[in-house]
Amino acid sequence: MIQQISDAELEIMKIVWGNPQEVTLFPYIMDGLAARGRPCQKNTLIVLLSRLMNKGFLSARKIGRRNEYTALVSETEYQTAQTKNFLDKIYEGSAKGLVSNLIMGDLLADGEYEELKRLLEQGREQL
Amino acid sequence: MNAVLKIFLSMSVSGGLLILVLLLGKQLLKDKISRQWQYYIWLVVVLRLLLPFGPEANLLGKTYQAVDQAVTRAAPLPQPALGAPGGNPTPAVDLGQNSENTIRPAENLTAAHPLQDIWTLLINHVWLVWLAAALGLLIRKVTIYQGFLRYIHAGLTPVSDIGMLDRLSAAAERAGVRQPVELCVNPLISSPLLIGFFHPCIVLPGAEFGEKDFQYIVLHELTHYKRRDMFYKWLVQVTACLHWFNPLVHLMSREITKACEFSCDEAVLAKMGYDYAQDYGKTLLDAMAAVGKYKENLGSVTLSENKQLLKERLEAIMRFRKKSTAVRLLTGALTLCVMFGAAFVGVYPAVAAGVPNLTDVEKRLLSRSDDLPEIETLEIKGTTYYLVQNEAQLRAIGAYGMDRNYMQQADIQLSADEWTPIGTWDHPFTGTFNGNGFEIRGLTMTDPDAELVGLFGVAKDHAQIYNITLRDYDIASAGKNAAGKSVGAIVAVAYGGRSYDNTVYPRETDNGALSQTEQYADSRTLSRIENYYEAGSLPLFQIAFSRLDEEAQGKWLDRIYADEEIAFLGAVVNLLDEDCASIRHLAETIYEDGNTAFFAALAMQMSEDTLEAWLDRALEDGNWAFQSMLFILLDRDDEFDVLKEQQEREWAEAQKAEYGAVGVTMDGKDYYYQGKLVNVFLDIRSNKSFYTLNMNPKGTVNIKIVRDADNKITGAAYMTEAELTELFGDMDDAGVEIIPVDLKTVGAGKTVFLGEYTLSEGDKIRYDISAETGSGMQVFFAEDEQKDAVYWSVHNLRQQGEPLKCTADFTVKPPAKPGKYKLFIRAADGALGNVKGSISLSLVAAS
Repeated sequence: MIQQISDAELEIMKIVWGNPQEVTLFPYIMDGLAARGRPCQKNTLIVLLSRLMNKGFLSARKIGRRNEYTALVSETEYQTAQTKNFLDKIYEGSAKGLVSNLIMGDLLADGEYEELKRLLEQGREQL
Repeated sequence: MNAVLKIFLSMSVSGGLLILVLLLGKQLLKDKISRQWQYYIWLVVVLRLLLPFGPEANLLGKTYQAVDQAVTRAAPLPQPALGAPGGNPTPAVDLGQNSENTIRPAENLTAAHPLQDIWTLLINHVWLVWLAAALGLLIRKVTIYQGFLRYIHAGLTPVSDIGMLDRLSAAAERAGVRQPVELCVNPLISSPLLIGFFHPCIVLPGAEFGEKDFQYIVLHELTHYKRRDMFYKWLVQVTACLHWFNPLVHLMSREITKACEFSCDEAVLAKMGYDYAQDYGKTLLDAMAAVGKYKENLGSVTLSENKQLLKERLEAIMRFRKKSTAVRLLTGALTLCVMFGAAFVGVYPAVAAGVPNLTDVEKRLLSRSDDLPEIETLEIKGTTYYLVQNEAQLRAIGAYGMDRNYMQQADIQLSADEWTPIGTWDHPFTGTFNGNGFEIRGLTMTDPDAELVGLFGVAKDHAQIYNITLRDYDIASAGKNAAGKSVGAIVAVAYGGRSYDNTVYPRETDNGALSQTEQYADSRTLSRIENYYEAGSLPLFQIAFSRLDEEAQGKWLDRIYADEEIAFLGAVVNLLDEDCASIRHLAETIYEDGNTAFFAALAMQMSEDTLEAWLDRALEDGNWAFQSMLFILLDRDDEFDVLKEQQEREWAEAQKAEYGAVGVTMDGKDYYYQGKLVNVFLDIRSNKSFYTLNMNPKGTVNIKIVRDADNKITGAAYMTEAELTELFGDMDDAGVEIIPVDLKTVGAGKTVFLGEYTLSEGDKIRYDISAETGSGMQVFFAEDEQKDAVYWSVHNLRQQGEPLKCTADFTVKPPAKPGKYKLFIRAADGALGNVKGSISLSLVAAS
């Protein structure tokens, strides 16, 4: 079960996920947060990182004074879990309700709609 | 263990004194000295309460010493009787006197013991009560704290507001905290607090704090963390638990909690600047607005503890000022005073003080107390005595040290667990053990392979083992399979060590020995002398006999004589006065009966004049046997030799004539009966006092002389097969070889060779040898080639009041190989005199 994380924590996870390297270093996250316009203190980041580790999102390898962070939960896994959670909470687990709401609420651009349709066809063929 | 409690009590008292001084000082100097100082100075007291060390001379030590000495004088503590080591054991003649020593403690014991027992039991277990209470309190405190932590954790939400976290970071930097500090919110608590020893976490009652309030709060909590107040607090809690009986310590605990907040406030303001005092005070007030929902002040550090304290704190905050140099100097001097005071007040072990030895011992005991039974020590004239009071301590003597001085302080009832003798060949006992008249009961050894059997195993050098009363012991079956064993109820082997004034009473067996309790209770009841006599207990009989009046003694002498108990007669005759009426009376009877052996025993207490008178009478009566004995007793052997020669000739002539009258003729040493050479010739006098036995293997007939009740020869007769068997016993039995032993002396350390024997597996060896004098005897076989390898060895030492005996049964079996062995007797400790007995070999191969 993937735990809930706060916005600030998600912000950090996004930076880690967005890092093309296998491991992420502390200054990279620090810089990333500043680049996204949400700079924070060193201690704050340490606290947030340790919370993420406790929740099982990150693992850290200590090399001297340098911490190498690795994501234990991929972005897709997180999104899937969050979506499921969202579906359960709002639509009682019904994906149809979600999609219809997306369409009805005009939340989908035309191109996106077409693409979704194509994805559905593909999925059916695979089954 | 009580020693530790004693130390703790003294630490408690000295700590208490310091607490009083500090409390008093605080009233005077409250605002003049730094709050930090007021907080940390308690650390000196806490250390005083926890650490049992101090300089050599101190106040409490002296007081305690005085108290201890008083106790020593009041209690019937024994004076250790330390004779010069290596002296001679008390000679047997003094036995009467010795036995008084052994009896006296027994009398005391019956009277005063039950009460004393209960008292010592109580005293001995006070430390348990103390420890149990301390542990209970500590556990309670920890569980309460854990419960509190669970309560906090239940409603904990981490603060995810980056702004707040950033402000926390800034404050942490300012407070000098390097650890990342976690920030959480828990609406269940009433005021901010800090938890976690190594991973600090500040918990706020809510997130809605003004920027300034937040800063003060966080700074306050971080200062707590930075100063490790949590550890201090718990150290104090542990101290309070251990000193639960001391109300002053609890007072101190409360005082420290207060001082902690004061000094924290001071530190925060010192950082912020004193101008912010008012703001800070306001924050405190706001934080107190909510009422506590849980007992939060235990173990954690909160911003505000309670209203009364808060008021004091506010006052203090408003008055905080930077201290002047003069005040700082004063503070420094005060610190020195308190520390010196703490050291000077000292503790009890440092008492110990005058006597460096004891300090070392106590410290050693403390450090090793986890694996050794605690033992108390007593200092007498610079020597440390270990006071042995229970079985565990007795069994641990080896662990305390084989070279120490031990003094028994209570009767010890041993469990039936196999006893391990104290001292081995590798680690011999070299110290002293004073049984102190107390008893050791129920020593049990059954290990068939034990080579050392006894309370002590090997005692060496200057070892002294004395005043022990060993009762109800059972070592009979131990070591029966061992290739070589040494047995002694008190000491199995003593090389150079001394063992004296010990009394032993084996466990009751089926051979009619008295029950221990009976012996015990009867020691004063003279009428029970009968029991000792019946049981054949010579030493006890001697003791009892010595206390009888002359008339009773006379009656007993007659009875002993009537029963022909010559051993008893020999033992008690020394207790009588020379030439006393009962001796004269008995001597007359014995003379008339012609019993030289008993007369000789009695003669020990006759004056020379009396003996002369008896000699005259014997010469007059022509009583040859008495003449010879009396001449020897009077040391007039030369005279006697002349007389003897003459008399022997006369006697031989008379004898020859007598035999001739019944048809037995003599030719030199050969006897003839009816013309035939006699094989066995036997002539037993009617009182059996002496007999003539002559054997000539060439002879063809077996003859005995028949005498009537008046010792007159009435005839000669052929001996029957039955009579021959009776005479020679089973000497001719094929499988049994009896090796008689009859040695006048064996020089000290000398070994006597008794013959070579071929032994095969299954052969049984029985030793039954006793020596009249000497204190150590060893009987053993040795292999032909290797002189060092000793087999079936019995090595015994004389125990007070017991004859020196080597009795044992062995069976030849592996690892010992069948083959030729040489048999030896060795005088292991001093010369042996009159070694008698036999060694019988039941040979499987022969039968």
